[in-house]
Amino acid sequence: MRLEVKDIRKSFGEKEVLHGISFQVESGKALGLLGRNGAGKTTTIRILMDVFHANSGEILLDGEKFIPSRHGIGYLPEERGLYPKRTVIDQMIYLARLRGIQPSEARANAKKWLERLEVAEYEKRKLETLSKGNQQKVQLASTLVHNPEIVILDEPFSGLDPVNSQILKDVVNELIADRRLVIFSSHQMSYVEEFCDNIAIINQGEVVLEGELREIKKEYGHNRLMLAAENMDGESLEEKLAKDFADLVRVCGRKKEFLILELTGPAGRKQVMERLASSDIEVERFGSYAPSLNDIFVAKVGEEA
Amino acid sequence: MKKFGIVLGYELREYFNSKGFVIFTLLLALGGAILLFLPRFIDLSGFTGVQVIGGSGPDGESDVSGGEGAGEESEKTAYLYLDTAGVVRAELLKQMFPMGNWQPAESEEALIAAVEAQEAEAGFVVLGPAEYRYYVFNKGMSDSNTAMFDQAMKQFYRMDYCEKKGLDLNEIMAVADVPITVEEQILNKDSGSNYVYCYFLVIIVFMLIVLYGQMIAVAVTNEKSNRAIEVLVTSTTPNSLLFGKVIAGAISGLLQTGIIMGAILISYEVNREQWGGMLDMFLHIPLEVLISFAAFGLGGYLFYAFLYGAMGALVSKTEDVSKSSGGLQIVIMIVYFFSLVQLMDIDGPITRVLSFLPISSYSMMFARIGMGTVAPWEIAVSFLILVVSIIGAGILGAKLYRMGTLRYGNPVKLSAALKSLRRSE
Repeated sequence: MRLEVKDIRKSFGEKEVLHGISFQVESGKALGLLGRNGAGKTTTIRILMDVFHANSGEILLDGEKFIPSRHGIGYLPEERGLYPKRTVIDQMIYLARLRGIQPSEARANAKKWLERLEVAEYEKRKLETLSKGNQQKVQLASTLVHNPEIVILDEPFSGLDPVNSQILKDVVNELIADRRLVIFSSHQMSYVEEFCDNIAIINQGEVVLEGELREIKKEYGHNRLMLAAENMDGESLEEKLAKDFADLVRVCGRKKEFLILELTGPAGRKQVMERLASSDIEVERFGSYAPSLNDIFVAKVGEEA
Repeated sequence: MKKFGIVLGYELREYFNSKGFVIFTLLLALGGAILLFLPRFIDLSGFTGVQVIGGSGPDGESDVSGGEGAGEESEKTAYLYLDTAGVVRAELLKQMFPMGNWQPAESEEALIAAVEAQEAEAGFVVLGPAEYRYYVFNKGMSDSNTAMFDQAMKQFYRMDYCEKKGLDLNEIMAVADVPITVEEQILNKDSGSNYVYCYFLVIIVFMLIVLYGQMIAVAVTNEKSNRAIEVLVTSTTPNSLLFGKVIAGAISGLLQTGIIMGAILISYEVNREQWGGMLDMFLHIPLEVLISFAAFGLGGYLFYAFLYGAMGALVSKTEDVSKSSGGLQIVIMIVYFFSLVQLMDIDGPITRVLSFLPISSYSMMFARIGMGTVAPWEIAVSFLILVVSIIGAGILGAKLYRMGTLRYGNPVKLSAALKSLRRSE
């Protein structure tokens, strides 16, 4: 299964909020949909879910027009919401039935997911009587109760303690392994890095970066090195490099433990190493720099903003 | 359609699983039925007799007391009189009004002091054959002392006149006050006796609309405030959600009212003989009125419920619901007061117009059927207008609902919502 979002545009009144959003995702892989608050992620997801209608553009599933009602879609919204005064099992069955599942299957599925997420003991309790973390797990169980082919998770880890986060991680990994198509929206980049093969960064209604995460990281790490010295602090090291290494590198970033350098000329890593060896810099750490997703996100969104 | 059925079922279960809903319904239905079955098991003839005589006319009070016996002097109401003109016939006064303990006063000051000390209910100072002064401490809303004393004074005057002229008072009274026998044949409606139940039915349908309408608006807003709507709108259509809620409210309201009214009306019909028909004006409602009440009441409910649902979707917090539905409430209140006032002029032009308007036909048409003259075509046309209006309200309500459900933050004004709808179309 391959889902393609092509050049989606959406306006509210006079204001265009999405200016041609495009990305794609395949089953068995997860797409990280990233962006700052108000960037257009939720609007994009709502268009995908047919809650809003796009002004132009198309969404295709395996090359055919995507009609959400014909496919099982599980959506975990960022703004969590179920009925606080109704029992866990009742509302799960209700949601499963609304998504086309027969009553007996809906009950069995609900029990299965509650068990999987370790909240089965609360099935007859009113939702409001559960802790925040357990409510979160019930919400995820409700998202998956109809065994959807496409799963959209918006900030699934917010509010979870490390133990519950691990349970959730396992479930997400199972979904991916089960060849579901997963779209994962989060501000917690470490989770996105952990699950997602592809990312799409949306900024001010536009996709500013899209592709395979490994390739993006490689590209962003290209020509970049990291350097830390034992005998100099970051500032002194930066001054020294500006003075003696300007023909080879420039400092393009600074981390707590090291500086990030960019090769400025045709010379490669080997020449930089040789120059370092002949200088008075006592190298503590030197190597290729692989940027984190967070670095890429800040760099990209920062650039655009 | 299938999803509408699922929403409807879920919402209905919410009503029926509510202990408050079940207890309230059963309590009123059983309470009413038990009360109306009482005369079968307990002798209430004394109570029934009191009510019948008491309600029969202006002389009721004397009849009631007469029926219960004169009682001790100390239990009677004390009245004082001062006869400065030699008019009062004390024995006759006591005969005419035996429930009063009539005592002469020594002076006007003494009479006033006794009334002020509330030792006497009232005092009468007779100044001439057709003139007296009345003293009372607090005059009640239903003070009838002067009417009573007027009657006595007239009788004294007539007797005095006849004695002076040598006339036979009984003969003159027979001529002056000939008893007339009326055989009443009502060929259509008895508005007088149907007024009471029509009045109550108008109140019932008004209460149902406001109560259930508000419940629907709050339920819609609740789904927004607890964000359940985020999941719901991705699982089904807004139309299914709104229609499911509204129809569930209609069914439960109809069922609740049907059970309570059914229990009370059937219990009364079964025991009507035991009650001597004394509650006919409240509970002996013709079937045609009940059917039109159900049809038009339900129609009116649906018409307003869709609009209430839409109003609920325009706000994000339950405390803002009253703000959002305020305009609608005002319309309903105005219609309600108009309806009650217009019951007095059931065949008048205003009532006729109101019985065709969808905002008011829910109460005015069945009131006209109950009390006035309505041609079948008028009922049909009014119902058709109501049905078309319900569909219109449903479509508008669903559009506003769809537009409002995912708008959080400040309440959306109705005018802004309508503008936004027009723009999107």
